[in-house]
Amino acid sequence: MSISLDLERELTIHRYSNSEEWVRGVKKRRDGAEILMLLLGDHDLEIVMLQRSTGEIERLMVPVTDSPMVLPSGFGIGEVLATEERIREEETRLIFANAPYMGKSVKGKGVFTYPLGPVRADVSEALLYQLQVMGDEIVRLDLVHRLKERHVRDLCQGRLVSDGVRLVERTTGTSTVAHALAYSLAVEQALGWETEPGVAHGRMIVAELERVYSHLGDLAALAVSTGMPVPQMEYLHHKEVILRLNYHLFGHRYLRGVVVPGGVRTLDIRKPLDTVRQTIVSMRDTVERIQDDLGRTTSFLDRLHGAGIIPTETVDFVRPVGPVGRASKRGYDVRRMRPYLDYAGVDFEVPVLECGDAFGRFMIKVSELNQSLSLLRRLMASEDWMRAPDLERSLNRSNGVGIGVVEAPRGLLSYRVEVGRDLIIRQLDVSTPSERNWFVVPPAIANKNILQDFPIIDASFGLSVAGWDK
Amino acid sequence: MYYWHWVRNILRKPYTTGYPTQDDGVVMSMLNSDGITETFAKNQSPMNRRAVALRQVDAGSCNGCESELSLLSSPDYDLSRYGFSLAPSPKHADILVVTGVVTEPMARVVKAVYDQMTEPKRVVAVGVCAISGGVFRDAPGVIGSLAGIVPVSIQIDGCPPTPGDILRGLMWAVDGKDPQVDREVLA
Repeated sequence: MSISLDLERELTIHRYSNSEEWVRGVKKRRDGAEILMLLLGDHDLEIVMLQRSTGEIERLMVPVTDSPMVLPSGFGIGEVLATEERIREEETRLIFANAPYMGKSVKGKGVFTYPLGPVRADVSEALLYQLQVMGDEIVRLDLVHRLKERHVRDLCQGRLVSDGVRLVERTTGTSTVAHALAYSLAVEQALGWETEPGVAHGRMIVAELERVYSHLGDLAALAVSTGMPVPQMEYLHHKEVILRLNYHLFGHRYLRGVVVPGGVRTLDIRKPLDTVRQTIVSMRDTVERIQDDLGRTTSFLDRLHGAGIIPTETVDFVRPVGPVGRASKRGYDVRRMRPYLDYAGVDFEVPVLECGDAFGRFMIKVSELNQSLSLLRRLMASEDWMRAPDLERSLNRSNGVGIGVVEAPRGLLSYRVEVGRDLIIRQLDVSTPSERNWFVVPPAIANKNILQDFPIIDASFGLSVAGWDK
Repeated sequence: MYYWHWVRNILRKPYTTGYPTQDDGVVMSMLNSDGITETFAKNQSPMNRRAVALRQVDAGSCNGCESELSLLSSPDYDLSRYGFSLAPSPKHADILVVTGVVTEPMARVVKAVYDQMTEPKRVVAVGVCAISGGVFRDAPGVIGSLAGIVPVSIQIDGCPPTPGDILRGLMWAVDGKDPQVDREVLA
């Protein structure tokens, strides 16, 4: 094993000579770290991880030989299950044994398979749920995905970095800013670009606006799944208010084209900023009141408490991120672990709960919403961000690899971009929070829940299929 | 303990707005005013004579269009006041709403859903992706436009189109004319 250090880019590269050493190395370093992604290059297999305490990014590489390389069952890293699925199809030199955590299929008298999807419910994304039920109890769930793969990764290769941002922000519509931001940070790191201070401030504002509307939408979906139309309507109305605010301030309801490599685009503010601040403050009060009232509504709480508990072994193996992880004792937030933009200088709380059920996920989303709203109020107090430059500059052109890690509304999102000197993307890799968290959904649903709990548990996760089938 | 909200909501001015779109003056005036103005379509008849059930199918969207479609039931847009509702089954639906670029696995599903619907039926393509494939047009495993798979009545442009645009397009698909411009388009 050899270690080299690229100080300027905060990356430590560990090179291993064979796969056994590599797997051992990954398992050893994994405990204090978050796995960002598993990559298969032309010559190397690589794990990128982020050390929680130092915020340092480590790359663990092993050469891929021509003879088939057998990796241990699930190889102990649940985070990369989604990438593993893809690599298994593309690459014959690597053999992954089946992941053991999924459990066995159920057969027998009285067990029925109830297919749900890809066309289902009110407005939903394309995903097929194969629910195996015995009476009312769900005994197993299989998810059939990849129905809507759009191959963003492949499309980005060979394009200019400025064109790539249009594609990556269409990976997941409700995480537009997070995707554009992680991509931009990666490109800026790869090319050695520096942004002006106002840019970071502006980007924080759009990132928090996105977290607010995304959480409001998730909470509305959770409210209606328990048959509570009044809070659903209140949450939806507030979501619409934020979307209109986005349109005012940045010219797009979903903030597309706002974050670009090298800068952030803002409009001339047509609405006085005081009114915007007032909207944010009054929304915080209303949202808190809705939360208090829901907290006293027993018909709502009874449906959430104890529904969809993620088993401890699944949490340890898959290690979910974002609100789903924070509701199951995994209190990690990229904004704390590796502060990007100006997050090191602002004060906010990262809520953590231990219960791991639907109620926990509801509470985490509610308190994150409150945190983001008060963060927004403080960020908007200064007006530096309004003077943010909107030009893409190519200062000292270099080429290289950059890694961008951000906390998207649904959790840890990372991009690895390899850019050439001609500003063309050589390779792009992405790991989304949804593709990681979907692997905890089947064990959580097939955990002594009945069919009537299914929509509630499904809504409490609030994951996007677009982020999985990207 | 939602009784207090009920009482308050009865007394309060409604949140509801018309169907603002980005192309016309209505949305501009609405966006520039601080309060929420109530606007209605020009030829809105006092009595609604629609009872139209919608079935949405995601053929490969980024979930931006889904987010806007779910906002149709918000108090700001309230699609039910124009006689629309979302049906859980294609057998009950009159309008098929398709979002996103059509991928190969989903093309089969979209066709099956269309065949399940009873006559008369219309298809509405929501968003740039469903109309032309958008940025994902050249992706592997992607067919692209919806038009080659099922007959499309109305295309609602935008990435994603606003709920106001979607409402206007849906009314256009049912009535055969633009509710705002009052122009004959469909036979």
